[in-house]
Amino acid sequence: MGVTCVCQVPILEGKSVQQTVDMLHKKLEQLGAVKQGSFFVDCETYHATSNASGKKRQPSKLLYVMHNSETPLSCLALFEGGPYLTADVNFDVLMVKLKSHFQNAKGHKVESRGTRYRYCDFLVKVGTVTMSSSARGISVEVEYCACVVPGDCWNLMKEFMQSFLGSNVPELPSVFAAKPEGLYAPVDCMDTMVQYLELFSKVRKQQVIPGASVR
Amino acid sequence: MADVMNVGVNLEAFSQAINAIQALRSSVTRVFDSLKDGMKNKETLEGREKAFITEFQDNLQAVNRDLNELERLSTLVGRPSESHPLHNSGLLSLDPVQDKTPLYSQLLQAYKWSNKLQYHAGLASSLLNQQSLKRSANQMGASAKRRPKVQPSTLALPPQYVDDVISRVGRMFPDVSIELFRPNGTSAVLLVTLGKVLKATVVMRSLFIDRTIVRGYSENVYTEDGKLDIWSKSNYQVFQKVTDHATTALLHYQLPQMPDVVVRSFMTWLRSYVKLFQTPCQRCGKFLQEGLPPTWRDFRTLEAFHDTCRQ
Amino acid sequence: MEAPPVTVMPVTGGTINMMEYLLQGSVLDQALDSLLHRLRGLCDNMEPESFADHELVYLLKGQQGNPFMLRARRSLAHPTAPWHLRYLGQPEVGDKSRHALVRNCVDVAASHSLPDFLNEMGFRMDHEFVAKGHVFRKGALKVVVSKVSRVLVPGNTDNIEPLSLSYLVELSVLAPAGQDTVSEDMRSFAEQLKPLVHLEKIDPKRV
Repeated sequence: MGVTCVCQVPILEGKSVQQTVDMLHKKLEQLGAVKQGSFFVDCETYHATSNASGKKRQPSKLLYVMHNSETPLSCLALFEGGPYLTADVNFDVLMVKLKSHFQNAKGHKVESRGTRYRYCDFLVKVGTVTMSSSARGISVEVEYCACVVPGDCWNLMKEFMQSFLGSNVPELPSVFAAKPEGLYAPVDCMDTMVQYLELFSKVRKQQVIPGASVR
Repeated sequence: MADVMNVGVNLEAFSQAINAIQALRSSVTRVFDSLKDGMKNKETLEGREKAFITEFQDNLQAVNRDLNELERLSTLVGRPSESHPLHNSGLLSLDPVQDKTPLYSQLLQAYKWSNKLQYHAGLASSLLNQQSLKRSANQMGASAKRRPKVQPSTLALPPQYVDDVISRVGRMFPDVSIELFRPNGTSAVLLVTLGKVLKATVVMRSLFIDRTIVRGYSENVYTEDGKLDIWSKSNYQVFQKVTDHATTALLHYQLPQMPDVVVRSFMTWLRSYVKLFQTPCQRCGKFLQEGLPPTWRDFRTLEAFHDTCRQ
Repeated sequence: MEAPPVTVMPVTGGTINMMEYLLQGSVLDQALDSLLHRLRGLCDNMEPESFADHELVYLLKGQQGNPFMLRARRSLAHPTAPWHLRYLGQPEVGDKSRHALVRNCVDVAASHSLPDFLNEMGFRMDHEFVAKGHVFRKGALKVVVSKVSRVLVPGNTDNIEPLSLSYLVELSVLAPAGQDTVSEDMRSFAEQLKPLVHLEKIDPKRV
């Protein structure tokens, strides 16, 4: 588990999602990255049925349950802004049992699927973000596996991302800066999921790209 | 060639001397034979005695003559063993059946090699002594008093002394934590954790660093049975490269008389990796080259370079 | 990090519909040693395992129906171990011929943020207790002999007081729904523990 940065890559002018993804693949392969299987990250949204929320709580926050193919036996449950919970996959069963209190917003399921590339100690995952079977955007996850401290290797990662993302290099993910120990706290897998969650929320609010259905 | 000639001359004298010894022996034997036989049967008692005495005298004279001859020859023979460069082993060259036992030529060959080895070792040692470690020379002032104590046998130092040196090195660098293990006997294995960047396993023999492996901070450094893993390499290419460079550093920092200085110099060098991911290359100014950060650290200036950028 | 290429997508949603078959009983403190002795003989040959757990029972109250109950357990002996979250359904009614109490059960291992997370979900802690005792196994059967203590100061597990002068004995099996043969095995095992302890089918609602 290294330092991870997840960002959204805009779709090239006049190109489809798939064409933009292909461009990215080509750039990575030119760099010398090697294809290494595929990946997915998905996210289900639950909202508390009105009666479940306690009296003193404000309009209840949404509960997100996510999965990552990198940790296939885990289930990650998040509230926006925390707290976060790492559990095993039986947590999904528990959510079924809880359905009278937490409803699954079926139409809100977002996922990102795509190809996993390895380049030296970097892992790059280029995914197509889909929501209710329409492609909404492109996610790029870059992980520098050799380092666990974001503050140490951020400049190095930025240089790497510049080599295939050009001007689309993102800023330092806010999740790292938000920690009490700051940038020098070791990362964990939740940092990645929080970034995906932020990306997915952005995508959800976005307009549907006309005519961009999944291949 | 002169040796061979010399041996030839001596051989001549030798054979004569051997003949002389044989002659001496037989004449001595004759003396005792005649004594044993006693007086021969003669008509008169006087005749008997006279004949016996004459024979005895003749025999003794023969012994005397042979002895003189042997003494004369022995000066010729001299003492060949001392004149030969290989001392007594030179006598092997006298073996007539050289083809069957080429011992002598083999011996000469071995002698030549050992001579050469000694010569080269002498050169190497003088070279090593010349190569001073400037960086560490300043720090040596404090340890100068202790040096004679170290010198006698640097391979068999008491474990407490090793502990002492290691803990002193550990105190020098606040961002380095050193754990010392002794998994087998007295040889120490160090687990050096450098900030949140890397973990190095350093295998020591007394105060000499034998082997080192550098792994990532998040990597497991123990084997399944809970012992320190001193064999398997890092999963990350960066740290495999750093391991290679660290091994180079072990060969560079050599000062057999002062192993504690070597340990300190090596640790100082290793500590420069604390900014492994933060320092761009001093030559090309970039962080990455072929996907790797600058993994090389100059031995003197500790500046960071890519493996391909150093010169 | 040589992660294998992900080719097989994991099945979302673990093991559905596991049932817990349960028999309960109790022994007085004086009889504990002879019961442990008996269990050591009957059960799988293993090192006797003891435990000390802190259990927090959470309730989520809705407008209609029963409150939703979850049990969160953490080990006091192994503070770094994951938390254990357990959902237990209502006991199945019907079929008197079944020898054990049967109820739905979901076990989830979770990170240490569990209490905060449950609070955020709207759960409130109802009560807590500390259970200390021993675990035995025989095949799929699990026998837990434990002393239940109440926590005098909320959250402080050092300040506890035993609830009674006896130990709780629980015999349980986890099995997929419909495998009623396990209750037969449980009954015969329970027979072997008589007269030290009588294990019975106890409906928590009637207590």
